[in-house]
Amino acid sequence: MAIGTLPVPAVARPTWRTRMHEWLDREQNLGPLFITPALILILLLVAYPFCMALYFSLSNAFIGRPSHLIGIRNFVNLWQSDAFRQTFQNAFVFTGAAVAAKVVLGISLALLLNQQLWFKRLIRGAVLLPWVIPTALSTLGWWWMFNSLYSVVNWTLIALGIVDPPGPNWLGQKYYAMTAVVLVNIWRGLPFFAITILAGLVAIPKELYEAAQADGAGPWARFCYVTLPMLKGVLAIVILFSTIFTFSEFNIVYVLTHGGPINSTHLFATLSRQVGLESGRIGEGSAISLYLFPVLMFVVYAQLRYVRKQVN
Amino acid sequence: MEVTRRKFVTATAGLAGILAARVPPARGQQREISYLCWNNFAPASDKKLAEIGQRFTKDTGIKIKIDHIAAPQQPAKYASEVQVQAGHDLVEMRMHFPWLYEPQLIDVSDLVGELEKKYGKAISSAREAAYVHNAWRAVPQYHAQFVCCYREDLFKKAGLKVPDTWEDLYTVGKELKKMGNPVGIPISQNYDTLSTGYAILWSHGAMEIDKDGKTVRINSPQTATVVEWYKKMYRDCMEPEVLSWTDASNNESLQQGKAGWIHNPVSAYIVARDRKLVTADGINHHRTLAGPAGRHETDAPRSIGIWKFSKNVEPAKEWIRYLLGKKEVYDEYIMSGSAFNLPVYTNMQDHAVLKTDPKYVNLKNEGAQYHTYGWPAPPSDKVQLITNSFIMANMFAKAVTGTSTKEAVAWAEGEMKKVMVA
Repeated sequence: MAIGTLPVPAVARPTWRTRMHEWLDREQNLGPLFITPALILILLLVAYPFCMALYFSLSNAFIGRPSHLIGIRNFVNLWQSDAFRQTFQNAFVFTGAAVAAKVVLGISLALLLNQQLWFKRLIRGAVLLPWVIPTALSTLGWWWMFNSLYSVVNWTLIALGIVDPPGPNWLGQKYYAMTAVVLVNIWRGLPFFAITILAGLVAIPKELYEAAQADGAGPWARFCYVTLPMLKGVLAIVILFSTIFTFSEFNIVYVLTHGGPINSTHLFATLSRQVGLESGRIGEGSAISLYLFPVLMFVVYAQLRYVRKQVN
Repeated sequence: MEVTRRKFVTATAGLAGILAARVPPARGQQREISYLCWNNFAPASDKKLAEIGQRFTKDTGIKIKIDHIAAPQQPAKYASEVQVQAGHDLVEMRMHFPWLYEPQLIDVSDLVGELEKKYGKAISSAREAAYVHNAWRAVPQYHAQFVCCYREDLFKKAGLKVPDTWEDLYTVGKELKKMGNPVGIPISQNYDTLSTGYAILWSHGAMEIDKDGKTVRINSPQTATVVEWYKKMYRDCMEPEVLSWTDASNNESLQQGKAGWIHNPVSAYIVARDRKLVTADGINHHRTLAGPAGRHETDAPRSIGIWKFSKNVEPAKEWIRYLLGKKEVYDEYIMSGSAFNLPVYTNMQDHAVLKTDPKYVNLKNEGAQYHTYGWPAPPSDKVQLITNSFIMANMFAKAVTGTSTKEAVAWAEGEMKKVMVA
């Protein structure tokens, strides 16, 4: 009997679809694939403009003319400008006052919204309104309210007998003008604080309050020893974001005071626009806008480190 | 649609030809230009511009797309177009923008030459603004001049004499303030402050920078006189609100019946008249005031520039020839602006638009001593920065709010020198 060879069953060649499935099943492939679109967007919309701004700030760029690198001369020269020194001071006063007020008022508002209220959802929605309306539009409303000719703020204060006519010159006197821009910034930024802190409040386990109450802790003690420590992480993040946003504020100052009177409300962004775009000195304008970048980087690093420590 | 071999070969061969020659087929060669301008304070002239644009397309076959943006947005928009070397073909340029964008604008001396031949030389402010280093970088289009707008009815009622000098204004201003109708000269970071401030500065013989474009001349006895004048005006004739005013505030104050006198283009009156405000009938105009060094006026000349990166330079020039070169079209455009947009060529100064309203009669004498900001220094990036940093405005603001005249002027000098040295 002759011994023949057994037929080998043919192995089906995997289709491209199967191969693709297998390729995508590997985590080392799928992860980068998901991240790539976001990465491209960040590179195009954040990294590229940032690098351009950095390049401009180190150059003597003037709109539409050839430029060359001049090192950090723009940053050094800026200190000689009275307007810039005033702006530097304004940025810290504005940010310090606005963020401090938003923290205190934000916690208060969040505690209030955390209570059992009638129309709770409606109220929570309404609180978000200042944050939702386009800033330029809402600031125009405020401009009208502070306007010397039509000021309803002054009209109300005079009608209530709080001030004598004609009332404060809100946008024409430097301390009032700074107060006005800080007030509008608080009004605009408060919802962000309140809603984020509210989310933190809701996440605090009820048992902690019950245990504290059982130990005889009153409302103030419960707030100091339960609520605040549990909110630390949320507060750190909110303050971090708000500090960055407030330092780089533009719309409110641009619409309300245009940086005046006598540069007393100029912030980095508004002065940067004035020098870089209105006067064409892009190099100097970019240096103004990037002046605080190292400081803000340090703030971000320190706060994120603190948050990570808290989480661990 | 079925693609036959013959169709495929024809199409690909055609496409290869277009790509090799880099010239689109005649059917795709419809010429189209785009023109960016501001939202004119006389809105009727924007409507007229659109209408003229349609006629231009009909007459020449060149499509034109006209876009408008608010004046404060112009610098940012222009800067971005220049940076990316793309955008509109033609741009409307305010004041000395042509100096700022000089390397990016084509030389339009040929066009201006044609217009000057027809209408006479361009007036001084138009020339100062657009004639850059021996070449026209933009074509002068129109200007809005600063005049004195006042409540004639209140002046008559109180028996006040229409002022002729800045010192006269102080005399009547005291009475106006007592009547509850103060003088409204802004002292804030806006362009009206500069427009009035320069007129006062020059008419007293003062200046910021010398005509050499380098030497700072603000610290002078003449400037001190002007600062003292501002101080007494602020104290006796005005109210502190002027420190917070925007460009629109003086207009509104006059229109709403508060201010008795402002320094502004005729737009304050035009708006009051068109909105049928009760103050409209009482508003009138008189000539810009004189000082010890004569009468000097500020102005807001506007011109049309063509970007170098434009691929439609010839069609763009055709549009300018159509809008400004055809007398009847230029007249029609000027008439639509109701004396806010006035022609910028010498032979057109006594224009029919000045006869459309008896309130414009006094505008006819305006125009002898126009200058752009920073005069007598030629416009440059440094002069531009001094202007846009509102140093002069802040010098006045410091002085009227308590800083001594000497300190305020010395501060301004220091700031200007830093700009010139940098």
